Parts: sequence; structure tokens; C-alpha cells
Amino acid sequence: MSFFLTIPALLASEGGLGLNLDLFETNIINLAIVIAALVWFLPKVLGGILESRRAAILSDLQDAEQRLQDTTAALASARKDLAEAQKKAELIRSDAKARADALRLESERRTVEEMARLKHGAVADLQSEARRVSEQLRLEAARRAVDKALASLPGKLDAEAQARFIDQSINSLGQA
Amino acid sequence: MVPLPFFLPFAELEVGQHLYWQVGGYQIHGQVFLSSWLVIGALLALVVAGTRKLERDPRGVQNLLEFIWGYLRDLSREQIGEKAYRDWLPFIGTLFLFIFVSNWGGALVPWKLIHLPSGELGAPTADINTTIALALLVSLAYFYAGLSRKGFRYFEYYVEPTPIMLPFKIVEDFTKPLSLSFRLFGNILADELVVAVLAFLVPLIVPLPAMFLGLFTSAIQALIFATLAAYYIGEAVHEEHH
Repeated sequence: MSFFLTIPALLASEGGLGLNLDLFETNIINLAIVIAALVWFLPKVLGGILESRRAAILSDLQDAEQRLQDTTAALASARKDLAEAQKKAELIRSDAKARADALRLESERRTVEEMARLKHGAVADLQSEARRVSEQLRLEAARRAVDKALASLPGKLDAEAQARFIDQSINSLGQA
Repeated sequence: MVPLPFFLPFAELEVGQHLYWQVGGYQIHGQVFLSSWLVIGALLALVVAGTRKLERDPRGVQNLLEFIWGYLRDLSREQIGEKAYRDWLPFIGTLFLFIFVSNWGGALVPWKLIHLPSGELGAPTADINTTIALALLVSLAYFYAGLSRKGFRYFEYYVEPTPIMLPFKIVEDFTKPLSLSFRLFGNILADELVVAVLAFLVPLIVPLPAMFLGLFTSAIQALIFATLAAYYIGEAVHEEHH
């Protein structure tokens, strides 16, 4: 604290502060030349460096801003594409669902039809088989009857019976 | 040494004269404090002016400050390494800016216009006390950096790669601040003296080359001091990969 208090006192007590305007003793002419040279020279060098630095920073900023803008635009268009794609996907899905439903109904219908047809065919087969079997049975019965008749025929058939039979046949022919 | 021609009517050269202030039990060099405050004030004003209204489009002082910041960041990142440079960038940057503005202020501002009762204003870095203070700060900084980052493993650094290095590394801790402070002090004082002596002998034109050379070496010295400080800190925080 005492340090700060003493400073003004020190400056005052020493005395003898003043200006020295001696041209040569102060070396003022040479200093003026040096300072003039620096003032002329420094802005060129340093100013050039600083200006190019500023230009680089500005162009970097502009680049970054441009990229931001581009990216924002790209993002927006990508979002739009996404929305469109989603809409399309939704459309395709609903379409596919509709088609799947249609296909399912169609195939159900076809299956039912097929099953009906098969059932029908089976019944028809059964009937035709039964008909075929009964036909065969009938033929077999007829053949057996003929065989039996042929077996019993030689014993019964004599001249008289033959004549009677022929007459009967002639009669029936005549009647027809 | 050839005696200076004191009979010439227009100039007088004085070395080792100081404006002494008595603070407590100490005698301090008042002219160094005055010029240091001016340098610090100028730097603060520049930084405040440059950062008060930050814009996306870097213009004028803001652009200059950003450029300097980028330069210092590259310097400290290169010397200290990616991991720790962020902690030390403010320190390195402060060192560089203070030394640089001190040097250039000492060489460019017509200090001699202001007449002091004793001694004369000039670059604060032309006084050995300033440079020793800065160099000791660097020593403290690299010890602190090493100890805070590695704990007592920091002292492994003294016996690497072989324990034979131990005395040399210990001596190095003393030579580092010594060389830092003497290099800066010597360069700046020598530059001021050369210009003063030349101006004293031939007042016009002849000191100009020395003055421009002085500007150049002043900038280089600021860079060297900051780079070495960063290098010492980097050495202290460096992790050996076994």
C-alpha cells in the first residue's frame, strides 16, 4: 500500500521533469526518418499479409455458408424424396394388399370350384363304375344262361322238338 | 578505450545513471518502471481496442491481434507440444508481446524528449533487472509446468538418458535464466549504446543503419526469448516414451 502512496510523492519530490528539445541530443531527426520509413514500409508488408489473411477467412466463411446452404437444400430435397418414396411405398403396399386379397379370394374360389368338380367327378366315376359292373354282371348272367341252355339242349332236342321249334320260329317271323 | 570527445558542444553520453526511487528498503530504477508502465498501458490499450467489438469479418486491429495470436499459438504449439501448449500460451504470448513492444518502443519512441532528473527513459528490457525478472519467471514456469504435470517423476528428467547427466542438468537450471536474461539485456543495451554513440559522433544519417539493425535484432530477441521459454517448458512437460 505504501508503495502506491509514495509514487506521486516520488515524482513530485525528484523534480527536474521537463522537455528536452535539443535537436541533436534527442536524436529526433534520425528517429523521424526511421519512423517514416516504417510507416511507409510496414503497412505494405503487414497490410498485405493481414489483407490476404482476412480474404482467406472471408472466403472460408463464404465457403462454409455456401456449403451450409447447399446441404440445407440437399437435406430438404432428400426429405421431399423420402416423403415421396414413403407415399409411393404406401401406395405399393396398399396395391399389393389389394392384389393379395384379390388373389386370395380368386384362389379360394378356384379351390372351392376344384373341390366341387372333384367331388362331382368322383360321384360320376362311382356311378359309371357301378353301371359298368352291373353291365358285366348282366353279361355274365346271360353267358351262364346260354351255357346252361347249350348244355341241356342236346338231351332235349330231338327231331320233333326241332320241327316244332322251327315252326314256332317261322310263326313268329310270320307274325313280325 | 578511446576517451569520448567531451569537448563537443552538442551531446553528452551517460551510462549507468538511474532515476532512483526509494520504496521501503529498496532503491528502484524509476525510469524502468515508467517505461514499463507505458509499454503495459500501450499493450492493454491495443488489446482492449482490438477485442472490444469482435466481428466475424476481422478488420483492422482485430485482424492484427488475431494474426499475432495465431503466430504465438503456432510457436508455443511447436515448442511445447499439442497436449500442454494451451496452458502456457498466455504466458509465452505475454512474454513475447511485452519484450517486443519494449524493444521497439525503446528504439522508436523519442524518449529523450523527456528530460528526467537523472538517467533516461528507454526500453525496459535494456535494464538487467527487468530481464532477470522475466528469466526467473521462466524458470519458475518450467519447474511448475514439470512438477504439476508429472509430480516427482519430473526429476527423472535429470537422470535421462544417463545419470551422468545429473550435474549438467543441475547446472543447466542456473544457466538457463542467466543466458536468457543476459542475452536480452545485452542485445538491447548494446543496440541503444551503439545508436547513442553513433548519434553522438555523427548526429545525422550515420546512425540509421544501426537503428534499422536494432529494430531487426530487437524483434529477433523477443522471438528468441519467447521461443526458448516455450522450449524449456516443453522440455519440462515432455513425456519420455519408454
